[in-house]
Amino acid sequence: MAGIDRSPVNLALRFRVAVGVVLTFFFVLVLRLWYLQILKGEYFRVRSENNRLRTIYVQPPRGLILDREGRILVKNRPGFNVELISEDAPNPKETVTRLAGILGMQAAELLPKLHDQSKRRRYEPKLLLKDVSRDIVALVSSRRFGLPGVEINVTPTREYVYGSLASHVLGYIREITKEQLDSPMYAGYRNGEIVGQFGIEHKLERYLQGKRGVRRVIVNATGTRYGESSFDPEIAGHNVTLTIDLDVQRAADEAMQGKKGAVVAIVPNTGELLALTSKPDFDPNIFAGELTAEMWRSLGGKEKRLSNRAVQGVYPPGSVFKIFMAIAGLQEGVINKHERIYCPGYLSFAGRNYRCHKKNGHGAVNLYESLVLSCDVYYYTLGQRLGVDLIHHYSTMFGLGQLTKLDLVPESEGIIPSTEWKRRYFKNKEDQKWYPGETLSVAIGQGAVSVTPIQLARGLAAVVNGGRLLRPHLVKEIASNDDSFKDDDFGVIEDGVVKIKPSAIAEVRAGLKGVVNDPQGTGKRARLDKSFPVTVAGKTGTAQVVSLGLASLGEHLEDHAWFAGYAPEENPEILVVTLVENGGGGGANAAPVVRQVMEAYFKKKYPEAQLTPPPPGSPAAARVVQAAQPQTGGGSE
Amino acid sequence: MRIDRRVIAHFDWNLFWITMLVPLMGLVVLYSAGFDPDAKKVLPQWIPDFLQVRAMLKQVLFIGGGLAVMLFAISLPPSFLSRSAYFIYGACIVLLIAVLLFGTVVNGSRRWLAFGGFNLQPAEPMKFALILALARHFSRKPPGREGYRFLQLITPFLIFLIPMGLIMRQPDLGTALVVGAIGFAMTLFMGIRVKPLVIMISTILLAVYPAWHMLHDYQQRRIMTLLNPESDPLGAGYHITQSKIAVGSGGFMGKGFMQGTQTQLEFLPEHTTDFIFSVLAEEWGFVGCLLVLGVYSLLLYRLLLVVLRSKDVFQALVVFGVTVQIFLHTTINIGMVIGIFPVVGIPLPLFSYGGSSVLSTMFAIGIVLGVAMRRFAFVKS
Repeated sequence: MAGIDRSPVNLALRFRVAVGVVLTFFFVLVLRLWYLQILKGEYFRVRSENNRLRTIYVQPPRGLILDREGRILVKNRPGFNVELISEDAPNPKETVTRLAGILGMQAAELLPKLHDQSKRRRYEPKLLLKDVSRDIVALVSSRRFGLPGVEINVTPTREYVYGSLASHVLGYIREITKEQLDSPMYAGYRNGEIVGQFGIEHKLERYLQGKRGVRRVIVNATGTRYGESSFDPEIAGHNVTLTIDLDVQRAADEAMQGKKGAVVAIVPNTGELLALTSKPDFDPNIFAGELTAEMWRSLGGKEKRLSNRAVQGVYPPGSVFKIFMAIAGLQEGVINKHERIYCPGYLSFAGRNYRCHKKNGHGAVNLYESLVLSCDVYYYTLGQRLGVDLIHHYSTMFGLGQLTKLDLVPESEGIIPSTEWKRRYFKNKEDQKWYPGETLSVAIGQGAVSVTPIQLARGLAAVVNGGRLLRPHLVKEIASNDDSFKDDDFGVIEDGVVKIKPSAIAEVRAGLKGVVNDPQGTGKRARLDKSFPVTVAGKTGTAQVVSLGLASLGEHLEDHAWFAGYAPEENPEILVVTLVENGGGGGANAAPVVRQVMEAYFKKKYPEAQLTPPPPGSPAAARVVQAAQPQTGGGSE
Repeated sequence: MRIDRRVIAHFDWNLFWITMLVPLMGLVVLYSAGFDPDAKKVLPQWIPDFLQVRAMLKQVLFIGGGLAVMLFAISLPPSFLSRSAYFIYGACIVLLIAVLLFGTVVNGSRRWLAFGGFNLQPAEPMKFALILALARHFSRKPPGREGYRFLQLITPFLIFLIPMGLIMRQPDLGTALVVGAIGFAMTLFMGIRVKPLVIMISTILLAVYPAWHMLHDYQQRRIMTLLNPESDPLGAGYHITQSKIAVGSGGFMGKGFMQGTQTQLEFLPEHTTDFIFSVLAEEWGFVGCLLVLGVYSLLLYRLLLVVLRSKDVFQALVVFGVTVQIFLHTTINIGMVIGIFPVVGIPLPLFSYGGSSVLSTMFAIGIVLGVAMRRFAFVKS
């Protein structure tokens, strides 16, 4: 060790310092490891799990919607969506712009969609175009190497099997709105999910939606799937069976082809709706794809295709109102079935002539004839005897001017005027006064009286079912595919009972039978073909749109045609109310619609019976001709 | 050369076995890190399936080669090293200049010289050459009682600042810092007067600002990222973030051998080379880390013992330089994977996969073993 001794270097000191330096640095490393692994170990463990696990949501098939006999009205078909997975696209905006170019679209149409979904994770697909045609699928697939991150995804897509049939009942589905996402009703829903926005699809959203599947996939750093960690399979939505009868609904749809208005077919003893039609209607299938501004305009606008006239449309009931007038008169004892009232064609009151629809008058009419002939003078007189407040009392008892609580779309209430209503409705003292002349208009279902078709159906049902005011409903059963869930408790809900003498009901019903079956009846066209052993009863109505004083007759001023009927007369199984907007006379225009609907219903009971052939010149007849001569083309129009 | 029996008798088996323990532990971790079930079987058929891990098998070959290099290093007498120190140093400087002129560019920096099919990274032998040159210089010109004066420091500083500057130009910030730190540590080992020490330290501190602006963008970014890695989790911060997740998620006991998700699913970059310690931390936890750090401490302790028992200043300085180099590599590498040092390409000695690193480290330790066993031998002067 001689060399060391000579040097000024103290090795022992340097050794100790060096060991100290090493231990100090290693101690710092250990402290840091302690911090990362022990103190924050759980935090980093979660982060490493998030790194390798990706959650992929699988859209469940929506529940089916079936008619009362189990026939499918709404189902799911495979639809092709064009989606973008951002993390696979080095430059998403550029890719989308290129995609737009390939499809001949403006980039500005697609880029906002990318922005709207920017909150989605990078590996989650962002929807660009939904339910595209097979041509677009082929086009995108063939160019996919120039479109990194663009994928075609097959998802269950809603299909309304019969197009616009019952569109107001079934409704449509559409992407969840921002407002809905914020509302507690849609708690648990995610941006971009498709939800029911109208009709049954909306009302029963929670049942139809099903439960989305959650797939947790293990991925490596490049996003390649490595395996599956867990999978909670998606659960299909519950199937909904409606009270709607496809055959009846189709007949109503057929009969209303080319018309505006509504048909309500109901089971008078239960309140089940067999058909609910509103025209013009819409095809809910268009909501599955991209909706252009033009399509939206056609849905709104003057036509009001989305409005459900059966529930939201209010119309003066016209002579159909006489049913309730007659019942009120008999119950109050101000008339009896024998009394005859003379009709000279008008009633003079307060210096004005109130006209009957028959100019020459009906002569002396009793109750039966008043209904069969629909004599206005008889009811002017009855109205005077009852007074407006009793009229209001009885109509309200039968649910007129009141919500039916169908709860499908916001319902209209309508108006049954009374002295009290006028006081409430008008501000001006002068206007608040009730003039006895107004009572005359009310007595024939005119003036301020306005009701919805479904109110008339419910009211007439109460007339024939022993006075029970039943809530109209559409749902028969909700059940899961595997029967683990089943709810068929949608029975009769009684919203009130009307107490009327049975004799009064019988006398009015005899009149309603005459309306259709008496040779003089105004509703003869509601009669079924002779081959049906079924008797129909009912009442026509022709509601004036404006007072007769104005004689400018544009089409929009044409009268509304009504018919409300039921069959079989003795023990009604089906009750149909039809309104044809600006359709003219009810006997001529609304009664045939009711007949057609009823024939469809009874054809199932009496298969041998013959349907009444459509009258020549009608659109239905034209279709029959076309079907018979498919090659002729053109035709004479 | 005549071999003295005492030379064999004094072979430092403790140092040797500890040196061999590190790569053995490394192989276990490398097996897991390099395992790829989908890899094509490019290896000979006779190797059993479960051993078909390319990185690990190659590392076994490197360690075998390292043993040969180590044996060669042991055989070199210190007197030979002392005599040829400046020559070796000069040769390495020439190679470094050659790299700047003819080197191949990988990832934006010029670090490799291609000799036919063989790639050389001159910065690796430069570290050892620097140790030799400084040891030679300091042993010939020992300081006075108070340590070196300022003027006496000019030559040794040139000796380590020249290669440091050349390596900086490649650029290879990590190696340049290691070279500078080795030189500085060896100078300190000899002793410096207080005044020049203060001047030096203040010069270094003053140099930080201009040095920052001389750094390349990516180097600046890496240092910035260290301070706030989450600011850019998919860019420059990705390495640090993923490594910290791997280390932290290992917890106390680790996820288990072959069970590290960060490693197996390749979220962890460079997991066989620079980030091998993260794999250890993820799969073997805090316990595994302590064990490996313990073995490194023992290794450094045994190396320092050789310094303590060195026969002359030259040998003490050579062994000290090697110790500093191994210590710096270990600390910088681990510091980098646990997020307290910027990401610089410094491998973990004897642990990371890679021929250059394994061979040069085992060569250096071979020199130390040679010094250690000759401490009682007589030298012909």
